[in-house]
Amino acid sequence: MALLTNVLTQVFITLISVAGVYVLTGLTGMFSLGQAAFMAIGSYASGIFVVKLGMPLVPAIILAVLLAVVVGYLIGYPVVRLRRDYISLVTLGFGEAIAALLTRMTSLTGGASGFTGIPRRTTLAIAAVSAILAVALVAFFKSSKYGRQCIALRGDELAAKAMGINVIRVKMTAFLLSVALTAYSGCLYAFYMTYVDPNGFDWKKSADWVIMVFFGGVNSLTGSTLGAFILSALPQVLRGLQNYRYVIYAVLVLLIINFKPSGLLGEWELTPRNIKRTWNGLRAKLSGKAGKKEGH
Amino acid sequence: MALLEVNHIYKSFGGVKAIQDFSIQANAGEIHGIIGPNGAGKTTIFNVISGVYPADQGTVVLDGKDITKMEQYKITRLGLGRTFQNIRLFKGLTVEENVMCAFDPQSKYTVLGGLLPTPKRFAEEKRGRELCRKYLQVVGMQDYLNERPENLSYGMQRRIEIARALMCEPKVLLLDEPAAGLNPTEVGELTELIRRISKEIGFAILLIEHRLELVMSISHIIHVQNFGKTIAVGTPAEVQHNPEVIEAYLGKEE
Repeated sequence: MALLTNVLTQVFITLISVAGVYVLTGLTGMFSLGQAAFMAIGSYASGIFVVKLGMPLVPAIILAVLLAVVVGYLIGYPVVRLRRDYISLVTLGFGEAIAALLTRMTSLTGGASGFTGIPRRTTLAIAAVSAILAVALVAFFKSSKYGRQCIALRGDELAAKAMGINVIRVKMTAFLLSVALTAYSGCLYAFYMTYVDPNGFDWKKSADWVIMVFFGGVNSLTGSTLGAFILSALPQVLRGLQNYRYVIYAVLVLLIINFKPSGLLGEWELTPRNIKRTWNGLRAKLSGKAGKKEGH
Repeated sequence: MALLEVNHIYKSFGGVKAIQDFSIQANAGEIHGIIGPNGAGKTTIFNVISGVYPADQGTVVLDGKDITKMEQYKITRLGLGRTFQNIRLFKGLTVEENVMCAFDPQSKYTVLGGLLPTPKRFAEEKRGRELCRKYLQVVGMQDYLNERPENLSYGMQRRIEIARALMCEPKVLLLDEPAAGLNPTEVGELTELIRRISKEIGFAILLIEHRLELVMSISHIIHVQNFGKTIAVGTPAEVQHNPEVIEAYLGKEE
């Protein structure tokens, strides 16, 4: 039971980050390999605010998320103006720089040995509710004018501009939303693990999230969430196979790319209308088959 | 003052002089045809007017405002709509969402409304959907709201693109080869559609087109381009008998 609680709490925390990555990569088509750095900022900042400055938890989290958003704005300023392929490079450099900075600033962060002594305040319930809220926020975002404009500029920036879309502004909005979500997930992470160290926030973590989004379906929030759920729970459940994690990831990704390039769910979203349509489709198929059998 | 005034614009790409001294004055209700062989710089004219890239020289004035060096999205918001030679609808969005995209930049709700179902968001989305229906009705595509444009025929995609351009509430509409790839029936329908929206909405239309029967039948004034230069301007009848135009199109008689 304790194991299950542990696994689920961490899965929900990851889910919040992946919701952020979905906004960035799924909706807007930008690949960030430095996204984990924002998680690092969230967890270190909130941890330091509470442990070293004695702040209450909630203001500490709010401040930490705001700090990450400010940093996100600074790094986002060039990022949203760059061509897509350079975005990954810039964010990669940024992420590694943050990790290096955290290792070097020993007096504040504890350096390579990590920052310890954070009280455990994140419970399964908090993580679950946060994850549901995060996914709900992103779902609302996707169906709003912002989501539409993101998808529009992902497909064709020139046409988007010709329709009056302020491409830079919309990209920045999406980027900052994803930064805020990731930083918040970092706060929960710090107050769950009770200690954080810089190694957990390198580009591999960012890449993991992108893989989860693609695995589940880059065009579907439902798919991305499902992908995050499966891929983050898998290594936790199969503890013995921890060392083979990347092998398993690679195999799964290869299978997906070969057999369902658009991800597990493609573009399918969990909406009442889609459920009804899929259900009717299945029923029609089943009754169709039954009908054929009778005919024979 | 004309609704759209393009004054002596020039544009070169390296050594290629794509536009040399092009001018146009377009008023509300007018349809201007721009014709010319491939590579005559017609699409470049549209790209300069709509702000994809700035003119090297000359000015573009839209409804009294100088838009020569303005950013593309701002020009659109001032009242310029366009369609593209190769249809550029947004993938991953339905017909309705595609058209809504052109309304979204004017939609007045904030990020808060983007994340939560606020009353303002509902009101604005509703206003957008109503406008969207209205313009899809104008082009006769109101029954395809939830379809994906890529599953529809070429002619239908053209219509959706026109509806999307109308959604920008333009004062000037640029149509870049709207009849390309259409069959004769569809060309006829399109001609009717352009004539109708020109009358009903009353903006200025600039039309690039290779199908002479279309362009000659609906344009008030025709500009003939060849190798970046304007070789003739006039009514369809005048242009048709201009020897230089005949030469550009058919070659010189030996």
